[in-house]
Amino acid sequence: MAAVVTGSPPKEREQPTAKEDKGRRRKRSTRVPPVVLAFVLVPLLAEAFWVFWPAVQGFYLSLTEWDGVSAPRFIGLGNFREMLHDDIFRTAVLDTVLWLLLFGGLSALLGLGAALLLQQERRGVGFYRAALFLPVVFSLVATALVWQAMYQPDGLINQVLESIGLGSLTRAWLADQDTALYAVIVPALWRQIGYVMILYIAGLKGIDPVLYEASKVDGASRWQRFRHITLPQLRSVNAVVLSVIVIDSLRSFDVVWALTRGGPYHSSELLSTYMYSTAFQSLRLGYGSALAVVIFVLAFGVIASYLVRAFREAD
Amino acid sequence: MTTPPPGRRQFLAGTGAVGAAALLSGCVTSGSTGKSESGGDVTLQSNLSAPQAKTAMQKVVDDFGKQGGGKAKLNTVAAETFRTQLPTYLTSANPPDLYTWYPGSVAESYASKDLLLDVSDIWTKPELTGYSAALQKLCTSAAGKKVFVPTTYYWWGVFYRKSNFAKWGVQEPKTWDEFLDLCDTLKGKGVAPIGLGAGGNTPWVASSWFDYLNIRINGATYHRELLAGKHRFDDPEVRKVFDRWGEALPYFDPNSTALPFQDATTALLQGRTGMMLIGTFFADSVPKDQVEDLDFFRFPVIDPKVPVAEEAPTDGYFASARTSREAEVKELMRYLATAESQEIYLKNSSGTALPTNPDAKDSGTALVKKGRALIEGAAELTQYFNRDSSDALQPPADAALTRFLAKPKEIGSILTTWQRDSQKIWGR
Repeated sequence: MAAVVTGSPPKEREQPTAKEDKGRRRKRSTRVPPVVLAFVLVPLLAEAFWVFWPAVQGFYLSLTEWDGVSAPRFIGLGNFREMLHDDIFRTAVLDTVLWLLLFGGLSALLGLGAALLLQQERRGVGFYRAALFLPVVFSLVATALVWQAMYQPDGLINQVLESIGLGSLTRAWLADQDTALYAVIVPALWRQIGYVMILYIAGLKGIDPVLYEASKVDGASRWQRFRHITLPQLRSVNAVVLSVIVIDSLRSFDVVWALTRGGPYHSSELLSTYMYSTAFQSLRLGYGSALAVVIFVLAFGVIASYLVRAFREAD
Repeated sequence: MTTPPPGRRQFLAGTGAVGAAALLSGCVTSGSTGKSESGGDVTLQSNLSAPQAKTAMQKVVDDFGKQGGGKAKLNTVAAETFRTQLPTYLTSANPPDLYTWYPGSVAESYASKDLLLDVSDIWTKPELTGYSAALQKLCTSAAGKKVFVPTTYYWWGVFYRKSNFAKWGVQEPKTWDEFLDLCDTLKGKGVAPIGLGAGGNTPWVASSWFDYLNIRINGATYHRELLAGKHRFDDPEVRKVFDRWGEALPYFDPNSTALPFQDATTALLQGRTGMMLIGTFFADSVPKDQVEDLDFFRFPVIDPKVPVAEEAPTDGYFASARTSREAEVKELMRYLATAESQEIYLKNSSGTALPTNPDAKDSGTALVKKGRALIEGAAELTQYFNRDSSDALQPPADAALTRFLAKPKEIGSILTTWQRDSQKIWGR
């Protein structure tokens, strides 16, 4: 370093002509350095071995009947035909749709609402943001345990209801087929709102304040500002939120499994819990894999169609 | 300027890091799958993860090491993981050697696929020749080989607190009618007569009622055949079971399907429920000073013509047929069958189980003596719903029984669904 500074004048830097420099740059851009290759190929190999290969196997297993011990028996589309006449599968699909609408819809709406409320820098706003975000940090299984205690027949919720004179509303929330699914959605929602809120706050911060100022000058009302500036500007965030919500809805498993295991008698069964119990409790791994394929197709379908549309609009 | 030296260094460091990560993850996976090289210690894969049971297992394994016949390594896995991974363990190329599990139809499902080590030769040794004929039969595969070594068993009964029964001035019932009268009396005193504990993560507890009513009404032979798929759940015999259950249903705790059995135990101890049909394992969650106050009676007789059978789930060990340490594994299994090792286990665990070795001393409490007499006086023994059928049949049963408890009037469609879902598993 010292030698370069003292000894040689900056000759080297003057030497290459503009032409040469251009040529070298082109050369460098075509030749991929081995470091980059390694950083791409090594994770790709690992990914292929630990993710793609099992996924392909999963597709194959969905065409078989397998108990995990004997060799899988190929039965073509038999598993998918069985689904058409499977009442529990129908319940699970309906519950998953309901879950997607309630859990997804409410978390998006309430997340956006919380973000709008908490976007301005006021005193104490950090506290509320942190409070709303805190559930995201907890393990969902731990969250479920806390909520389970609250839902118990003599738990907090029933006690509160009784103390305010609504004793007739008390019930075993998780053991009642009419309430089990909703009782499970609440803790999941409680957690998701904070996450969606953070995504929206980030999006709101990215909106150029000049737009608002200009609209104010033009005499736009609060609602008009929200409708014609905030919402269109949040489009890219909406794509992220939608993907997150769809993926999180379809993979929602831990909180349901920890609270009800899909029961009582399948009334809170989601596709994910049904897949788990068929594969690992009933040991029908072929049918379980077929259910996993359905989940994959649903998730991939929804997200791909949205992304394709979003990109087309962007072009 | 042309070839920046840090690039190559970064590359080397990068590959080094990747390599190290691969090695590390390799270590992690091999550790978690419990693989072992031949010649080392016998690996004992255990699902007994409750603190007391785990300590007791470690004591047994340590004592085996002192005997000089070989060494063993205990690998305790969470019960749910163990259950779901067992088929993978047994079919892997380099499996753990020995497993805690159940004899009877559960072991048979693996034995019929030649996954279990034939241990007929150790059953001829003095430690095992004294085992009862019922146990010998239970540990024999359909092909006539011994594939299992039992070590402990426990019993099910209708448990209650002596002090509470004294306070309420009631007696143990012997027959179904006496039992219903007792329930009526308790209900009159504002107590929920029957606790269950089929909520939360223990819906399988409800199967105990189905098992007992079925073996009291239709007999143990019919029960086993039903679970093996030789009868149907929508048969009139099964319907009779639910008719009887319906008679007792008004006396069940309203929170039967809302509380897991641990919480139901608390309700029993606090006198909110009167009694509870449960296995002795529930005593693990009972404070020591209250265990003394516990007593039980035999599930009431319904039809005196039916030979009295009891549920006596047996626990023990089977070994993988692919073990590379056959001699050491058999030595360990022989040791586990001795009175000595079973006493070590019982002394260090909660102590409500019974040893299978007739020479082994049980914990000697009044409760355990009564339990032993109950089992010895039974004409036939059953294991439990999932053990007499398979774990795969448990979820359809749980769904059917919890639905019956909530909506007894829908019994017709409940039984149809139960049969259809079970058929999918039998027909596999």
